Amino acid sequence: MSLLERLFGVFSFLGHDLGYAVSYLIQAVLYLIVIALLLILMIYLFRKFMARLQQRLGPNRVGKFGSLQLIADAFKLLGKESILPSERDNFPFVVAPMMVLIGLMLAFVLIPYGSLYWIGSITATHSAVSVILIFALMAIMPIGELLAGVSSHNKYALLGALRAVAKDVSFEVPMMLSLLAVVMMASARVSTPLDMESLISAQFLAYGILQPLGIFLFFIAMVARASYTPFDMGESDSELVSGYSTEYTGMRFAMFYIGMFGTILLGSTLLSTLYLGGYSGPFSSSIGPIWVFIKAIILVLISFTVWLSLPRIRIDKFVNFGWKYLLPVSFINLILVGILTLGLGW
Amino acid sequence: MSNLVELNMGPQHPSMHGVLRLRLKLDGEIVREIEPIIGYLHRNAEKLCEMDYFCDNIVYFDRMDYVGAMNMEVGFLEAAEKLLGVEPPERAQWIRVVAAELNRIAAHLVWMGAFGLDLGMLTPFFYCFIEREKILNIFVELSGTRQQYNYMSIGGVYQDITPKIIEEIKEFIKQFPKKLEEIANLFLKNDIFLSRNRGLGVIEKETAISYGVTGPILRASGVPYDVRKEEPYLVYDKLNFDIPVSQKGDNLARFMIRLEEIRQSVKIVDQAITKIPDGPYFNPKAKKSLMIRLRGEGEVYARTESSKGEFGVYIVGDGGVKPYRVHVRSPTFKNLSIIPAVAKDKMIADLIAILGTFDLVFGEIDR
Amino acid sequence: MIGVKEVEDPKKRVPLIGMIGGMATVGKHLFEKPVTVQYPEQRREMPERFRFRIFLKLDDCVGCTLCEQVCPNGSIKMQPVDRENPRNKRKIYPDVNFGTCTVCRNCQEICPTDAIYLTNVFETSRTRNSFTYSPEELALEEDKVKK
Repeated sequence: MSLLERLFGVFSFLGHDLGYAVSYLIQAVLYLIVIALLLILMIYLFRKFMARLQQRLGPNRVGKFGSLQLIADAFKLLGKESILPSERDNFPFVVAPMMVLIGLMLAFVLIPYGSLYWIGSITATHSAVSVILIFALMAIMPIGELLAGVSSHNKYALLGALRAVAKDVSFEVPMMLSLLAVVMMASARVSTPLDMESLISAQFLAYGILQPLGIFLFFIAMVARASYTPFDMGESDSELVSGYSTEYTGMRFAMFYIGMFGTILLGSTLLSTLYLGGYSGPFSSSIGPIWVFIKAIILVLISFTVWLSLPRIRIDKFVNFGWKYLLPVSFINLILVGILTLGLGW
Repeated sequence: MSNLVELNMGPQHPSMHGVLRLRLKLDGEIVREIEPIIGYLHRNAEKLCEMDYFCDNIVYFDRMDYVGAMNMEVGFLEAAEKLLGVEPPERAQWIRVVAAELNRIAAHLVWMGAFGLDLGMLTPFFYCFIEREKILNIFVELSGTRQQYNYMSIGGVYQDITPKIIEEIKEFIKQFPKKLEEIANLFLKNDIFLSRNRGLGVIEKETAISYGVTGPILRASGVPYDVRKEEPYLVYDKLNFDIPVSQKGDNLARFMIRLEEIRQSVKIVDQAITKIPDGPYFNPKAKKSLMIRLRGEGEVYARTESSKGEFGVYIVGDGGVKPYRVHVRSPTFKNLSIIPAVAKDKMIADLIAILGTFDLVFGEIDR
Repeated sequence: MIGVKEVEDPKKRVPLIGMIGGMATVGKHLFEKPVTVQYPEQRREMPERFRFRIFLKLDDCVGCTLCEQVCPNGSIKMQPVDRENPRNKRKIYPDVNFGTCTVCRNCQEICPTDAIYLTNVFETSRTRNSFTYSPEELALEEDKVKK
């Protein structure tokens, strides 16, 4: 049983087609709400965590321990006037923040969350090639950033967008190669290694232990994908004011902001799924999502610590690093994994 | 030629340390031409000084280098006391040294934190400011305000140092070196930090001298020039400390020099705090209503070592109660002039890093 | 005794180790107490020497105008006040514009009768048009001004 089937059980009086349509719709809305809530919680967590690392208290005025601060911020951003630069290219300028958010939201849907008590599986949708789909959806986000940078007609934004693109091309190849290693290892055990669920079931031992290089590469790629320090050249606040999102205000800026935190959460969830066994763990048949959540939160906290303690790397050094170090390392990782898979039969 | 993109960086920009405006000509990411434009914080401090009594001018000097105001006061009083012929008593001189060196630590901590922010390190900034806050709390006890102290008066200091403050300073000195090493290790053990600063923005010895650069930047280029050493004022010649010098001349060397200066300042405060002699803390010649009756005639130039470099004050008196002319040789202004030469043909990120090591404080540049 | 010390560059070491150490140092602060003071609820004890609000003893003021002269930015202006004071024949007392006052303490230093003085009362928020404190307001009791 899964969440969808339970919903269909409620709406089965509408007939097969309409009933599934309605339950899909309700499920989608539920996912949207849950993800939005998770992101708000994560921004709250970030602000509290950052404050405590810096020996401050963080938000503590709105609500108990400032828990309603983010809601207040959201309302503030909604109520703000959206200032549009007069020289903009209107269509891409308006579409860009949405593209960032849409790619992110869709990618969350494909992640397997496992089953929770009596509800059953709460994974939204299944696909035999969900790994490829997720990375395809994540590839939408840089397009949004590029569009935002170019359409604002701002020099800072343009530079930020160019940096973001240069960054993207230099880390995505090693990222996909490390992903290939995971799929390769899983292909020895399951017949559909591109399905995230079978990837998890293939992990008799977390792949993070078998592929230390792979998890390192993937983590770096996820840091770069979410673009926070040390790899936030695209929006480096002390150099390019705010990079590609310089000209955005109000809710449109909030979309970029949420997109960034969402990518951190997505990256952590992906990393926990691909390398740390996702929902598997003790009692995973009933508390699978909680395992995903715990693993993701630990990774998120590590990401925040990285963010807060490291300086920004220079863009040319990062491109250098991506092509001269990450790429060879990812090949080495691939070879090692090949030896493990074929030679030792793991 | 038209391929270059012109970019106005500042005066409202997150890393312009106040209101510096740079007109850049960019070739992609690479900066081909730099023209610093200043004047956005001009307050006419020199002219204001001419319109007020000598004792009031300290207020304007506090607002020049506002992160190291005690050093500014020392600089002005060196000149003014020479002109007015009011000698500060021994005790006041020692108190001034303690205050000035504590403030040098505070100013360097501000710089260190802000430099971290320039490079994208969010957290060390707070650790630096927490330590600085402790110094400012001592200054609140000592002088009554946090930043614009107006603590030193002509012929001494306004308020005496108390045993309680001495205890507080000793306590601070005791715990501070450990914290400093912790903060420094956040920078110096970080490979990204080292890779972004090592060998970047090298200033040759001759270039530095020809541009009139002073302070930590000159010392990072290998010239052991420090006014405290060349021409000791106050009681610096009775104290045992070193002038840090590096031969590298790059960003990292400037960082190391300032770090070492903090350590040496701690050493100075540690020695000076125990050596403060008993006696009066002000010269009665400049007390009460005599404050505004001090007359000076002639020309005086005095130089001191502020946290940014050689801080010179030139005062002309015409025998009146107000100075005829006050001119300030501000170190950051001279240091800023080398930026176009150093940061040319570097990337924007490098320009920000180089600017970060220059410790710009705009109150002093624009005056 | 002032020597010259050569500063060495940090040694090259294995990459990444130092960065992880730095992250651990930053992470360690998670368990330390916050240093901030939540102002309206918590109030830090202001030291006796902290100076802000100017007070005036009307009985001691002799109307010598020294404070007006010494004020660096003209925050103090003398105002006529109809008040019987044998020492103050001209019947003029200082008022203070706290919008421009820089708490430099020169008025307190120069006052021959210690009539004008600064205290550590600092909660003096007001609306824009009432920054100027009349002599009567300056003469209020310290306890009455404290909020």
